[in-house]
Amino acid sequence: MRRPIDRTGLLWILGLLLVPLGAITISLRAGSMDMSWAQLFHLLQQGPGSSVGQAVLWKIRIPRTLLAGLVGAALSLSGVTFQAVLRNPLADPYLLGVSGGAALGAVAALTIGINSAPLVSLAAFGGALTALAIVYLVARAHTCSSHTLILSGVMVGSVAAALLLFLLWRAPTEATRQAIFWLAGNLSLADPGWLGWGWGWVLVCFILLWSQAVNLDLLTQGEETAADLGLAVGRTRLILFALAGALTACAVALAGLVGFVGLVVPHICRLLWGPAHRLLLPLAALFGACFLMVADAIARSLYAPAEMPVGVVTALLGAPFFLLLLRRRGGL
Amino acid sequence: MITVKNLSFSFGHRQLFSRLDFTIQRGELISILGPNGCGKSTLLRLLRGNLPPVTGEIYWHGMSCRQISPREMSRRVAVVPQSTRIDFPYRVQDMVAMGRYPHRRSLLSFSNAADREAIRHALVVTDILALADRPVTELSGGELQRVLFARALAQQAEVLFLDEATSHLDIDHRLELSELLIRLNREQGVTIVQISHDLDLAAATSGRIMLLNEHGEIIGFDTPERIMTPENLQRAFRVEVRIATNPLTGAPQVLPLLNTAAVQLDGLKVHLFCGGGSGKSLLRKLHLAKAAVSAGPLNQGDSDEEVATALNSAVVYEVPFQPFSEQAISTTRYALAQADAIVVATIWWGAGNLPCLDLAADALQKGTPVYLLNPTREQDFTTGKAWEKLQALQQAGAVIVANEEQLVNKLAKG
Repeated sequence: MRRPIDRTGLLWILGLLLVPLGAITISLRAGSMDMSWAQLFHLLQQGPGSSVGQAVLWKIRIPRTLLAGLVGAALSLSGVTFQAVLRNPLADPYLLGVSGGAALGAVAALTIGINSAPLVSLAAFGGALTALAIVYLVARAHTCSSHTLILSGVMVGSVAAALLLFLLWRAPTEATRQAIFWLAGNLSLADPGWLGWGWGWVLVCFILLWSQAVNLDLLTQGEETAADLGLAVGRTRLILFALAGALTACAVALAGLVGFVGLVVPHICRLLWGPAHRLLLPLAALFGACFLMVADAIARSLYAPAEMPVGVVTALLGAPFFLLLLRRRGGL
Repeated sequence: MITVKNLSFSFGHRQLFSRLDFTIQRGELISILGPNGCGKSTLLRLLRGNLPPVTGEIYWHGMSCRQISPREMSRRVAVVPQSTRIDFPYRVQDMVAMGRYPHRRSLLSFSNAADREAIRHALVVTDILALADRPVTELSGGELQRVLFARALAQQAEVLFLDEATSHLDIDHRLELSELLIRLNREQGVTIVQISHDLDLAAATSGRIMLLNEHGEIIGFDTPERIMTPENLQRAFRVEVRIATNPLTGAPQVLPLLNTAAVQLDGLKVHLFCGGGSGKSLLRKLHLAKAAVSAGPLNQGDSDEEVATALNSAVVYEVPFQPFSEQAISTTRYALAQADAIVVATIWWGAGNLPCLDLAADALQKGTPVYLLNPTREQDFTTGKAWEKLQALQQAGAVIVANEEQLVNKLAKG
């Protein structure tokens, strides 16, 4: 529909620079310690150090902002991909059993008494990829159409949910409490040491995904048309599922099940910039990152020093914005 | 150019195309006609290599379809699909640009300068240049169909497959696109294979027509003049038609005969001897003409019995797979006494249904007219007894009618 360069291009470019900057600043300022603009700027100039302000900014807030951005971008990219490949507007990153698998992995780790963040993340990551692999193998035995994929995803998800309930019922109270934190999505759990790995992972996945942008466009036209136009549908779809699954698994491993971002950010971006994936993928990544940074900032500041689950904010923020856009543009 | 050898395919248990053999030459314009569900679309997908055949092989320029890569295939043949579900609001020009995918060089985009030229040309000839910036989700069915057509044109392949591509179009655009097809075919030598439901348009535009029956068997594959005959169309579509010559184009033109519905029998009591499906369409025709139909004896579960029961006809029932009993025969005799006319439409004769002919002979003697629908001796399994009785009936004054339409007309005249 609209491209940034076509229409009042300068304004769009300005917006694309200012929105991320704004989101980052909002995210850095949020928290129990007040920080004025001047202080923030000053501390940023100083670099990491030993003062309280420096420690808060460089040891806590910047990693947190980076994490929110990473998770937001990963979930949005994965949502865009799943919606296009499955041709289903209700598809989200958790559709194909990924969430169930990840949750099961993480909670299993928690209930057997593993408490260190990296190990729980690793367990979630493994669970997510395992679930995705099972779904794919089950669906491949049949035609691997989007219906079979969705249905087998739902089934694998149900089995994982049942096992999860069983584990929670058996688990000690402390582990249950932690598990619920994790299931609601929580950006405070991740080990900062994983941040670099996470960003690297997301960046690689993004570049690979972007190289498939045109193939994604073709797949939105349906399997047969895509094949008629010369796409090797089966192979391409496998690559795309693997990439989207890898992105989701990474996000889930670091932040638990943050809801709504992967469902609604792709829709918002499509309404704003049209469905062509060459543009949609980078913009969705950017917008998703900003969206989660701001949502996380709100979750941290409303009841500071206590912290609301970020999923509450993403839903309360995203849904009205989405409905407003829908009303103005009329239709998806 | 495309050679099909010994091709068969099946969907689950359903067998389609038993051992097809045919060849399509470069530069031909071919229409595939046939009833719903006979596998026309499947045949195109097989030719295109999207589906693997169960037996047989398809060759493009002597090379087996299986050995041609998807990309290479999409440079050889473009497909205009029936109609697609469109969920994503691509702009019309972006959608047409997808047709350049088989030729693309860059990873991120469909179009360089040469591509844009092809895209623009496709937009112009399909008359959708004005829609170029509109989202495809906002188009009407006909407009969308033209976008799909333009996308296939942008592909610039030497072969074009169309799957009922003109079915959603207004008459002006339908004719325009047909002319465009002919021009592509004549001027650029594009080979065209189209599935069509418009018999007249297919007859007027195609060089050859492939006519399929409901099982996907080829009834004929020849020039329109040779294919468009009442006998062929009866075999393919089970309708009675006349063929005229279009006064302007000289092409064969199909005139469907719908007059049976217009003939009124107004409660005329007709008894029908049939069975095994021989009376199905006649039952329907008599019902539409408002005759009071009785039928039987019919074995329960026989397809004629099911139709007669569904149409609320008076049916004399018999137990499945049994010869007609004394009781059934006497009930039928009673029904015949009430009838104004009797029709014998049975095709298969055996010891079980042979008494029907005696019943008909009795009724004829009592003055009730008897009509024999197209009697043959081919399906006589009574060592000639049934055929003798049929001939005796004829000599006693039973009227032979060639087809159902003629029968209904005769019944109306009394």
